[in-house]
Amino acid sequence: MDGDPAVMKVPRSSSVEVKEDMDTKSEKQATRDALIDISFCGSTPMLWKVSDMKKCRSEGVIGALVGSLARQPRQNVRLGRPLELRPEEALLLLEKEKSTAAVRLDTQDCEDEEAHSEAVRLYEAGLESSYQEQCVLALEDKKKTLNRVMNEKENGTEGSGSAVRERLEALDQSFSFPWSAMAVQLCTARSGFSHCPEERSFHSTDCPMPRDEHLNTRFSVYRDLRNKGYYLTSAGKFGGDFLVYPGDPLRFHAHYIALCVSLDEEMPVCDILAIARLGSNVKKTVLLCSPQEGDVVYSSLQWSSMV
Amino acid sequence: MRGKFWQTMGFSERGKQYLQPEEALYLMECGNVQVFYRDLPLSIQDGYERFLSSDTVTLHQYQVFGHLKRLGYVVNRFDPSSVSSTYERQLNLPASDKQKKQLKRKRSQSPVSSDKHGISTEEKTTSEAHNELAETSKLPADLQEPVHLADAPERTWWMEEDVQQKHPKTQTAAPRWDFSSISFPDLGSRRRSERLASPHRSLLPENVDVGECDVSRWLGRLNMKQEKLSRRDMERQRERDRYRRDVNSDREVRRCRNWAEYSELMEERRRRRRKHRPEHLWEREETPLTQPGQCTSHRELLDQIGIIKSSTFSEGLSRLSPSDQWKISFDVYQPDTVAEFKKSHPGKPYTRMCVCSFAGPVPDLHAVKQLSFQSQDVPVTFAVVDHGDISFYCFKDFKLPTDVY
Repeated sequence: MDGDPAVMKVPRSSSVEVKEDMDTKSEKQATRDALIDISFCGSTPMLWKVSDMKKCRSEGVIGALVGSLARQPRQNVRLGRPLELRPEEALLLLEKEKSTAAVRLDTQDCEDEEAHSEAVRLYEAGLESSYQEQCVLALEDKKKTLNRVMNEKENGTEGSGSAVRERLEALDQSFSFPWSAMAVQLCTARSGFSHCPEERSFHSTDCPMPRDEHLNTRFSVYRDLRNKGYYLTSAGKFGGDFLVYPGDPLRFHAHYIALCVSLDEEMPVCDILAIARLGSNVKKTVLLCSPQEGDVVYSSLQWSSMV
Repeated sequence: MRGKFWQTMGFSERGKQYLQPEEALYLMECGNVQVFYRDLPLSIQDGYERFLSSDTVTLHQYQVFGHLKRLGYVVNRFDPSSVSSTYERQLNLPASDKQKKQLKRKRSQSPVSSDKHGISTEEKTTSEAHNELAETSKLPADLQEPVHLADAPERTWWMEEDVQQKHPKTQTAAPRWDFSSISFPDLGSRRRSERLASPHRSLLPENVDVGECDVSRWLGRLNMKQEKLSRRDMERQRERDRYRRDVNSDREVRRCRNWAEYSELMEERRRRRRKHRPEHLWEREETPLTQPGQCTSHRELLDQIGIIKSSTFSEGLSRLSPSDQWKISFDVYQPDTVAEFKKSHPGKPYTRMCVCSFAGPVPDLHAVKQLSFQSQDVPVTFAVVDHGDISFYCFKDFKLPTDVY
């Protein structure tokens, strides 16, 4: 039960009202529309809108889907929205100015009573119109079923068809569609009809993602590899920081496991052996990446005795 | 959905039904529940941002929760006070009804309706989730606290004095009796006297005077009959005794009048044996752990040369303090028990989950021991979250085999 707010049907009159309010903001919106909205759940950046996800993919940022798939919620093979971004991915999008990041403020919650009651009214109006539509559809559906039954019965025995015909005729008068049987749409992304909390966009210095040395190292490596045209995803299960794909992950297997180490970090030989073994077992080359004065230095490990 | 989820999720308090925030969010994602706040429905994005925080359930914990629920497991929050200790389990007490703590209050408006389309319950929130969060955690009282901790608040800065104070308390009192000079009468021997001399004045409490003691009545109660064995039994005993030397028939042992003399004799014998040992090995500070002929089985030998002793999870637990970083989040019950699952008596969980991520440290022995102690007889699984991918790890207690046949 997901969907963009655009899919939800709204009676024409109220949509015109909404548009008039938005006119003054339309110019700002035009430029903003091209940007991806990143919202934060705690310190984790996430994308909620399908359009945002498409734009993000076209930039080469993959991310990972972590929510239940709306059509089939009770399985783990395919997951749905939201798209969780790594901090490096979010930083890249912010740096390229392809996105804005916003944090929901905890304190305020739309103190504006009028706007809130307006939103409630719109929501209820939408619900009502949806109900009317569904009534009509349900009645048609019922008629079709009865007609089908009637036709089948006429083809079979005589006499029983008349009872069905009577039911059909009585249907128009006596059919009732209970309110509680109505299908309701649950929005995945925050839609215009819910109360809109104040969102504050911020500079990257302010961001809720904690920035430490390791994140900076990883971000430099991520940015460099992305600029070279590789696609990167997370590689926790392979003991590394990133999995590097020559193209879209849906089309290729990863070629490299990237491990980000800073140049002055000491690495015990056992660790190097362990990661090299791992890489050779899964048939991927291990890359040790270290940022150095704006550039990134790569060393690859290949176990030559394993064929 | 007719509301089947009430069987495994949610809890009742004061007549109303509540859902935990993670349960509500999961049901929203499945499309079974709509949550209203101030008359407007919350989107899933709102749910994520409002319900998940470090005070309630973090995003990682929710991802593990969702993953397991989607596979069909029954997942409940872990309540440390619900774990029964070994003693309680020995006594086999019926599980008492522990009160669960609610973290999000919702007013349930309409009863469950039987429709096939989407909503089964509509619930209204009365106020913001994060305002009502009052998480209290109960840690099991550590009954084995060492004595000096009770004084700690007063003496925190006098570290040396603290150490010194410890000694007199933990030191055991020197024995007042010199057991080497006290002789105990042997009442079991054949040649016994009916009368016992009174004990020495110093051994008795003050003002107590004991005369000669007539023990004939007591001796009559002792069973001094000679054991009558059948011929087969006697043969068996002879076989057993062939290589066993009776301690009592040892002349030197008979000459000992008390335990002190006996242990001296044993020490002397040991010294005599040691005279055959090479000096360069035995006369230094570091001596060999064993000597030829000392052990009769492989297990004894391995015990003697085993400097590194293997430890189990349950050792040394009383000295462990609860850790802030490692906490058990959930109890997990198997999917096939859903039909009989009762919220009031869930029974023993299949496993307990501790959620962590690849960005954090690997659990060290302290953490593993502390968690397994907290969980008692239920194994602990570590769910490691890596940007949506979840891997499960568990540590198994393992003892290296020492018997070599």
